[in-house]
Amino acid sequence: MRAYTPKDNVQAKSYYTDRFWVAPQVAKSQVSDDAVFTADLAAIKAKFDVLDAYVQVEQMVVVINAADNYAVLELLKNECEYTQLSEMSAIDWLATEGKFEIFYQMLSMTKRKRVRIKCKIDENEAIQSVEKLFRSADWSEREMYDMFGVVVNNHPFMKRILMPDDWEGFPLRKTYPLQGDEFAAWYEVDKIFGKEAREIIGPENRDPARIDRYDTQRFSRLGHEVPFGTDISQGEPDTPLVYQEQEGVFMVEKFDAEKSVVISDRQR
Amino acid sequence: MAQHQVNYLKDGGLPVALTTIDKVVNWGRSNSIWALTYGLACCGIEMMASGASRYDFDRFGTIFRASPRQAELMVVAGTLTKKHAEFIRRLYDQMTEPKWVISMGSCANTGGMFNTYATVQGVDRVIPVDLYLPGCAPRPETLQYAVMMLQQKIRKEPASRSQKPKRLM
Amino acid sequence: MQQSNRLRPFFENISFDREDNELVLNFGPQHPSAHGQLRLMLHLQQEQITKAHPDIGYLHRGMEKMAENMIYNEFMPTTDRMDYIASSSNNYGFALAVEKLIGLDVPRRAKVIRMLLLEVNRLMSHLFWLATTALDIGAMTVFLYAFREREYLMDLVEDYCGARLTHAAIRIGGVPLDLPDNFMTDLRKFLDKVPENIKDYEDLLDKNRVWLMRMENVGVISKEMALSWGCSGVMLRASGVQWDIRKEEPYELYDEVEFNVPVSDKGDNYARYKLYMAEMRESAKILYQVADMYEGTSTELMAHAPQYISAPKLEIMTQNYALMQHFVLVTQGMRPPVGEVYIPTESPKGELGYYINSQGGPYPYRLKLRAPSFWHTGILTDLLPGHYIPDVVSIIGTTNIVFGEVDR
Repeated sequence: MRAYTPKDNVQAKSYYTDRFWVAPQVAKSQVSDDAVFTADLAAIKAKFDVLDAYVQVEQMVVVINAADNYAVLELLKNECEYTQLSEMSAIDWLATEGKFEIFYQMLSMTKRKRVRIKCKIDENEAIQSVEKLFRSADWSEREMYDMFGVVVNNHPFMKRILMPDDWEGFPLRKTYPLQGDEFAAWYEVDKIFGKEAREIIGPENRDPARIDRYDTQRFSRLGHEVPFGTDISQGEPDTPLVYQEQEGVFMVEKFDAEKSVVISDRQR
Repeated sequence: MAQHQVNYLKDGGLPVALTTIDKVVNWGRSNSIWALTYGLACCGIEMMASGASRYDFDRFGTIFRASPRQAELMVVAGTLTKKHAEFIRRLYDQMTEPKWVISMGSCANTGGMFNTYATVQGVDRVIPVDLYLPGCAPRPETLQYAVMMLQQKIRKEPASRSQKPKRLM
Repeated sequence: MQQSNRLRPFFENISFDREDNELVLNFGPQHPSAHGQLRLMLHLQQEQITKAHPDIGYLHRGMEKMAENMIYNEFMPTTDRMDYIASSSNNYGFALAVEKLIGLDVPRRAKVIRMLLLEVNRLMSHLFWLATTALDIGAMTVFLYAFREREYLMDLVEDYCGARLTHAAIRIGGVPLDLPDNFMTDLRKFLDKVPENIKDYEDLLDKNRVWLMRMENVGVISKEMALSWGCSGVMLRASGVQWDIRKEEPYELYDEVEFNVPVSDKGDNYARYKLYMAEMRESAKILYQVADMYEGTSTELMAHAPQYISAPKLEIMTQNYALMQHFVLVTQGMRPPVGEVYIPTESPKGELGYYINSQGGPYPYRLKLRAPSFWHTGILTDLLPGHYIPDVVSIIGTTNIVFGEVDR
């Protein structure tokens, strides 16, 4: 019987995990321990629902409703001095919860504080663009769409950014294998030579350890050059490394090791 | 007049060298390999280094040209991605015959460490390659040696007739 | 003889019946002065750009996907290939993020060596920037000078870790090796020459008429634009924002060294050029100070955390338990606690951040690489319109983008 492989998450998994092993947690602390974060959180809480808030590794994490994302970021930018959106992207939780988690990493240069705003959306749900507030979101949201297929509403140019326009599939989803699917495997061959060339060019070699060292038709090894197609499975002649042919080259002076200068100190 | 008598039969006397057309053409070709600047990724930096001060490619007659029409060597230096594959083929087609390709670094050879959905697993799936350089990234010395090997290869080829087209498939 | 394939010529830039006299120019993806694989679609009125549309992704190699399929230590060499001009700064950002995740403290000697590597990398990166930008604008001499100096720095790094370009010289929890014997003397010898070298470049460029014409008042980025586009590093500081993560949120030993953060409020190409030159001087200053810290530190190089970090080689070879731990850590990988971190560091290009979401397994659940060049490329959309064709090259030059980092 074939081993069952889960289809909803095809990423690498640990082959052995101790049954009784409980993963430790990165320490979370209360927001109230930090005066700046407390004030910021109070400002958000005054207008919006906050599902969860804590401080982890010196940064405040605030979980909000996905519908509030634009308004919360607007509040943070205009009233709480978080003037830069340094990063935003999504995390794929489709396998466990059927949702994408979207995080916005904010930076306040005057307060020297960083806040992460998080929200969750369903697989087929779209999220509001924050490109009007932060131009940097223009490209981040395109990248998010490219990698996860999360559609962003009110975005000026919702197209793929990293992958080609005619690409199929969303590479960073957990259902997408690392080495690509059938479409990815033949992409360049189909595009350049056409589907009929698939058989001639052959499948990709995805095994980095595959070497045929007796193949003298396609490869020759430096220092062991032999005539085309020689059988070297029984051993091979050793050819010394030469920079020029033994008999010399027409109109080119032969390199003389005796006359060359060796510089021992590289810094003059 | 008589003071400047030259013995034409001694070496270096006659300002004429007798050789074959093959040798002359190959001498010209092998000592003026103009390479297309095809720095794709990290190896491109090493390619630049080999063109710069310490390694100085110009002494091999190798000058980097920005146009495929003026180049006869394509040093594919770096990772070729699926999105870019189409363009490398276009540029290869635009180069004039005779042309050679050096695949520099593991990524160009086999995809190297980037065994992922976005990387072409070796440029030889798209264009024919003459020399493969191992390394990640290969040192400039490796590229120099590769150019020397290519010069040897060019000298061995008959120059009098047009080169056979290299077939990928 | 051409081999038949399906590729047909592009007709994007030839439109026969346009009334507005607009030309669409395709720049790249393989352009010698695009610093990699940038493709720009430029809409032109005469020689003036009316619309710019950068197209990236030609070097997208799927690093974030690779990270999800690799144990933490395995991913370290991959980070090298991001900003391949200054590899160690990428290594360091990743190592620091994982260390913050598992709560490790690194021995002092390792910190000193990391600082040395980081600043040597900054110098290497800035020299490379100077070389390529000068070459793009036509100053071939500066290219050769700057590469000559860069080779000496590469020798230093090579003496330390054996690689010229892709160092992988920093491990999670410390550094793998102590400095070689001649490292400090060679470094000091190099540093002594840095001021006069920089003066050489400035003598060639500062008052050069062509250089000034191509640089001054070209590519002006306002403060609001820089903040809105998420710029960082020199791109931000040239626009009048005093923000250097080394100074404001110090990591490693940056709070113990004296250095200035050069700022300019001009925002143009020339301001960025001057800031790079000033930063090289500051880096040399930091390196002198850090070199003095090395003496007298204890010889420990890796943090002691048997659950996450392998023991030193001597212990692995002599003690059974250390060998078992090492075996588990190499074959299965370390399992950091459940949680998430976002750790920014000041790489030569700007704010390099690693967001790691760990679910307690040996593979990160999600790893997002926040590479500064990504947004520095994006800003071209708003920056280029209004400029002329030759300005494109000098603007791309001074944004200092590296495509390994933009596309990841």
